[in-house]
Amino acid sequence: MSTRPSTDNGDTATAGTAATAAPAPAVELTGITKRFGTVVACDDVRLSVQRGEIHGLLGQNGAGKSTLMKILTGLVRPDSGQIMIDGGEVSISDPLVAAGLGISMVHQHFSLIGRMRVWENVTLGERGHVDRASARRLVTEVGDRYGLAVDPDRAVEDLTTGERQRVELIKCLRRDPDLLILDEPTSVLTLKESHELFSVLRRVTKEENKTVILISHKLDEILHATDQVTIMRSGAVVARRRTADTDVRELAREMVGREVSRLTAGSAVGALDALVEDIGAAKEAKEEDEEREVRLRVTDAHATGRDRRPLLRGLSLTVHAGEILGLAGVEGNGQAALGDLLSSLLELDKGTVEVCGKAVRAGRPGAMHAAGVGVVPEDRHVSGCVLDMSLAENLAMADLGEVARGSFLSPRRLRSRAERLISEFDIAAPGPDIQMRRLSGGNQQKVVLARELAADPKVLVVAQPTRGLDVGAIEYMTERIQKAAESGIAVLLISTELEEILTLAHRIAVIHRGAIVGEMTRAEVDVERLGMMMGGQAA
Amino acid sequence: MTALTTRLPRMVKPAALHTLLLYVASFAVALTLAGALVTLTGKSMSETAYALYQGSLEGGGSIGLSIDEATPLLLVALGAIVCARAGIFNIGQEGQLLMGAMAGAVVGLFMPGPGWMVMVGSLLGAALGGALWAGIPAVMYYWRGVNVVIGTLLMVFVAAQLAMYVVTQENLLQEDGEAGARSPQSNLLAEGVMLPRVGEYPDLNVTSGVFVVLAATVAIVLLLRHSTWGFRLRMLGHNPAAARRSGVRATVLGGGALLISGAFAGMAGGIMLSGTIGRFQPGMADNVGWEGLLVALVARNHPVAAIPVALFFGGLRAGGGFLASTGVPRYLVSVVTALLVMAAVFPAAYAELSKLRKRNKPVVVEG
Ligand SMILES: Nc1ncnc2c1ncn2[C@@H]1O[C@H](COP(=O)(O)OP(=O)(O)O)[C@@H](O)[C@H]1O
Ligand SMILES: [Mg+2]
Repeated sequence: MSTRPSTDNGDTATAGTAATAAPAPAVELTGITKRFGTVVACDDVRLSVQRGEIHGLLGQNGAGKSTLMKILTGLVRPDSGQIMIDGGEVSISDPLVAAGLGISMVHQHFSLIGRMRVWENVTLGERGHVDRASARRLVTEVGDRYGLAVDPDRAVEDLTTGERQRVELIKCLRRDPDLLILDEPTSVLTLKESHELFSVLRRVTKEENKTVILISHKLDEILHATDQVTIMRSGAVVARRRTADTDVRELAREMVGREVSRLTAGSAVGALDALVEDIGAAKEAKEEDEEREVRLRVTDAHATGRDRRPLLRGLSLTVHAGEILGLAGVEGNGQAALGDLLSSLLELDKGTVEVCGKAVRAGRPGAMHAAGVGVVPEDRHVSGCVLDMSLAENLAMADLGEVARGSFLSPRRLRSRAERLISEFDIAAPGPDIQMRRLSGGNQQKVVLARELAADPKVLVVAQPTRGLDVGAIEYMTERIQKAAESGIAVLLISTELEEILTLAHRIAVIHRGAIVGEMTRAEVDVERLGMMMGGQAA
Repeated sequence: MTALTTRLPRMVKPAALHTLLLYVASFAVALTLAGALVTLTGKSMSETAYALYQGSLEGGGSIGLSIDEATPLLLVALGAIVCARAGIFNIGQEGQLLMGAMAGAVVGLFMPGPGWMVMVGSLLGAALGGALWAGIPAVMYYWRGVNVVIGTLLMVFVAAQLAMYVVTQENLLQEDGEAGARSPQSNLLAEGVMLPRVGEYPDLNVTSGVFVVLAATVAIVLLLRHSTWGFRLRMLGHNPAAARRSGVRATVLGGGALLISGAFAGMAGGIMLSGTIGRFQPGMADNVGWEGLLVALVARNHPVAAIPVALFFGGLRAGGGFLASTGVPRYLVSVVTALLVMAAVFPAAYAELSKLRKRNKPVVVEG
């Protein structure tokens, strides 16, 4: 792709070569519709993106953003609709066609292979002989050109998430695409890394006149990084704005479809600024902190994974009754291991866990639950519930004693307990016998929470409690977590979303590489410093 | 295509229709192939089919034989079902059954006491022998992480060797007699040690082992569905992580399921020993262990559904035996019954495989 000699004075690159009246948009989608069974993922969508701009695609989880972009990259075939690239109609039947048209996408979840080196990953899928020297040169060249420094010889599994993101970008950019699509690229990045990413995107559009589509559900990012924004809700486009002409409130309203409270705006749609302003007004909730009983104490925990890599390296923390401790950190720094530890799924090499002053044996099946630790795990499908059993059974599984007579279950007790919890926790289900799999994500999450709270826990661990939920469910979870703390339960909130932590936590600890690297109270929060700690820099 | 698949659900349950079609198609293919084969070798298809029917269903004698064949199959299948519910795949029933029969023979031949007591002892011994044989791979798994499928499979071959060894050593189980005239098999059990046969009719009578097996079926159904043990077992099978969090100890529960399954297979061997064959022979397992696994597969791990499936498989075994006795070459009988077995298994296996494929789909590009 020849880089156009930039005149460097025009504010838009297209203006310089304006021989044609209005240039055709780089991408124009019209009438795109895609159904999955009864779900309409995209509903008569029109999207128009000009060359050289960063175009934001904003919407809640499930709005259809990823599906729309997969249609553009040939991974999903639309049921109907038209795709125009630079003014010409095209049919993108598979990813190869998309690549031929200069379309390249970084997916929401990375597709790198951990055991392989960076240069191997970058040339993965290449046909024919790949020569090592030139592959390494390629990585360095592309890296230099865009400011994406990464050592081509390191194994991907040893990289931080920020570095992995760079490898993904290099993998895309080396093909010199005209159109670069990024699907929620910042969900695994620290603030600083996100800002670095945005400056790379800026360079790509300004200097090389490429086009970028940036998918996000975070308002902050959209406001920061884009020129234009298209907002989707339930599969349909509901608004188009010039970024400069809009603000957080309006974006939030369009995205959710109604006014949202300041609190929800904070955690649900990622308006960090709004939250930071609030800090001044944050309640000094720490008055009696010192006197409150310690409910959970983890001391110097060390643990190793199956592949012999360290998961926890001397992690220590305490949570008091009635407080919410927010554990911030970039994904993959030991949060999952801590969640597993408190779910009796992980054994310790060294260190102790105490609940209400009593030591609990780590890794012994059911021990944490018996000691009074309730857990709403990060991935509810992995250890939170059993999808193939019924709703009532899922509500009972940790406390079979309550629904059994001797060694047999009492169907009547099983049912009445389920009915009680369903109404108490507002679970939307046709009845207690429905298979867990058939509930929506938000309701599955409610079931897990209901079961854990029904056991009257001393400590409640909630990991990524709102991931993948819609705004209504997010509001619900937020409120329940707050109530749990008010009732005196010690709450440990593990989240990679800083906004969520700032909304809920009384005290914040930062986890990095399996250990706590810093702590601060809600009132002392300094986002810069938090960001640096999350990125592993001493602060 | 998409229009069709979205419109269908309102008319019929597509899954049920799909399964039915699959069964029809798979039996049609099997019957065509079997017919072609029979005709090619110069036999008449209708005569062959009639012989199969005669051997399995015509008259009390044949029906009794079918039931006798179905009895151990069902028992093996029940054990396999318990294991499968716990998410463990025991495929070594053929060996566990043989070792059960061997243990049953040892007790039956050498235990002193009144006949009925020896009989009960022999059955219990058989169950214990099977459990022990399944216990070895269980220990290998929970201690050393040796895959259960591989462990149980390996033990099948060890069992076959061991069985052959004990019946060729005169100081072990080999029958008494002149030095050159001994066969590799044990002595016959005493008359009083054999399971009584029930049924007044001159022709329809079955081994009383049937009642043991039916009682076991009822027990398993109740326990799986209504006991806390069954609840925990299902939880373990569906989601080991969630089970562990709720206090289920996989070693105890999963290992226990493996032992139960082994005991059932062993008991099947014991029933074959004292119910029909009367003595221990190294070849007596005769694929009952493998076919019992297939019964569980076709019944999709439902104990009640396993009853008719076991009867179908038992009928095929009885019919095949009769067919062979009419002079049709043994290999042809094997191929024809194997085709019918495959026809019954294919839809279930297909469903199982596509379930696996769905589960293993990469999620790399998920939004
Ligand atoms: N392959 C699929 N099969 C069935 N439903 C799907 C599939 N992909 C997406 N969906 C559904 O389509 C809707 C939009 O999903 P998606 O495009 O991933 O949303 P977003 O990226 O905006 O979060 C969701 O309801 C989702 O469950
Ligand atoms: Mg998405």
